Amino acid sequence: MSTFVQGLFHRIGAWFLRLAEVVGELALFTGQVGRATLRPRIDRFELWRCLYRVGVRSLPIVAVTAFFAGAITVLQVGSYVVKLRAYEVVGWGFGFSVFREIGPLLIGLMFSGRVGANATAELGTMTVTEQVDALRTLAIDPIDYLVLPRILAQVVMMTLLYSLGCLFALVGGVVTAWSLIGVDPWVFWNSFTEYVLVADFLNGLTKATMFGLLIGVVSCGFGLSVRGGAPGVGRAVNACVVAAAVGIFVLDYFLTYLLG
Amino acid sequence: MKSLLLILRSVIEQTREAVATLVGTIRYTLESPWNFRAIGEHMFLVGNRSLVFVLLTLGFLGAITSLQAGFQALRIIGDTTIIGQQLLPLLVRQLGPTLVGLMVATRVGTGIAAEIGSMVVTEQVDALRMCNAPPLDYLVKPRFLACLVMLPVLVVFGVMAAFLSAMGVAALVFHTPPRVFANLDFVSLIDVGEGLVKAVAFGAAIPVIAGAAGLAARGGSEGVGEATTRAVVSASLAVIVLDFVIGGLAFLVRT
Repeated sequence: MSTFVQGLFHRIGAWFLRLAEVVGELALFTGQVGRATLRPRIDRFELWRCLYRVGVRSLPIVAVTAFFAGAITVLQVGSYVVKLRAYEVVGWGFGFSVFREIGPLLIGLMFSGRVGANATAELGTMTVTEQVDALRTLAIDPIDYLVLPRILAQVVMMTLLYSLGCLFALVGGVVTAWSLIGVDPWVFWNSFTEYVLVADFLNGLTKATMFGLLIGVVSCGFGLSVRGGAPGVGRAVNACVVAAAVGIFVLDYFLTYLLG
Repeated sequence: MKSLLLILRSVIEQTREAVATLVGTIRYTLESPWNFRAIGEHMFLVGNRSLVFVLLTLGFLGAITSLQAGFQALRIIGDTTIIGQQLLPLLVRQLGPTLVGLMVATRVGTGIAAEIGSMVVTEQVDALRMCNAPPLDYLVKPRFLACLVMLPVLVVFGVMAAFLSAMGVAALVFHTPPRVFANLDFVSLIDVGEGLVKAVAFGAAIPVIAGAAGLAARGGSEGVGEATTRAVVSASLAVIVLDFVIGGLAFLVRT
């Protein structure tokens, strides 16, 4: 019995130590990145390349996700609406839940899977093949050259992709409401514009920007700390998406509380 | 326009690949003997090892939805006592299964793709084929069965964590007593069925898609990273699309 209790405490302690190690490493990395942004020396060519790869390549996946997110939300709102026969509030229920919560959350999770995992894999491969060390010997700071353009590209593109995603979600919502519940698109649009204000959109936009920053820092931090060949890269990608998902949920809670 | 066609073609290609993997895995599941030891090990990896992660994320999800629902309820009707009874069916039939599915796709899906992918690039899978152990039978089948069993279990735990944390937030922020909040009257049998069907469908889709992505890995550590990324994106997308399809069918059944 006592060995069982000891083992339990041992495992809880080991878990907390590991957690503290990861959080501390990320905090130090964030400090380095923060210091580097004070005197920005960003390689413009690398920045353009990152913006293209992050934005253009992940647009289709974000568009499809947003479309289905809108459709799913209308389905769920619809079952309340049909019960209460209140067809004119579909647009409101759809708008506030997608713009404030489901949009940023689902697009953020998708973005971390597509872009964050990609950045970790890329930086991890460069680290295990000692390309990052080669940059250091050439007196090129990897934070300036590799990390800052990636984080900047992810923040900018997450904001833009969320705005575009809202449009696709709106299309998905209108189509589903019209075909499955039988709500006229004009009724939907009127209740949408009447209740859903710019505030809801800006609320979601703030969340999306913060998620972009979080995903950028986490993915680059995990990418640069990879150890141990090809399996190490796979493990780092796994750890990165898990940490980003937890971070998104925790950040989302506090932002929801603060933004009201 | 041309890039759109290319994307469409790659989607069709990947869907075909996933369906072929699913059919092959089901055939091996029915025809060849089960390695219960491997299945048990993977059930431990999928279930126990993801439990803390699922409880943490779903707990925060419950707190977030409770806050949002409370703010809207205060703004529109000025009464927060109904958010518990209206939130629970939504958690059971949609938010719980979908978010657990996405979390398992990120945690377990990337793990499967990374593991099988590194075995492919180090030619261990070719060695298995030479020993007459087809990778679908030896590698994908135990993971498939483990996810099929453990995903509904994780969904049950996740919904419980989300509801409890929603109750806590409602009590602390909106001063709704837990006895009023925990009202189970509005959960119908169709809601529970919809949630469980979704859980089983996600449990079947995630390991098959991740396994197919891992088996398609080419080249060294770059290939493994690429396969892992593809696995998490395709598996998450499959979860969302299946969620829409099953949710739509359940909506038609309900009305």
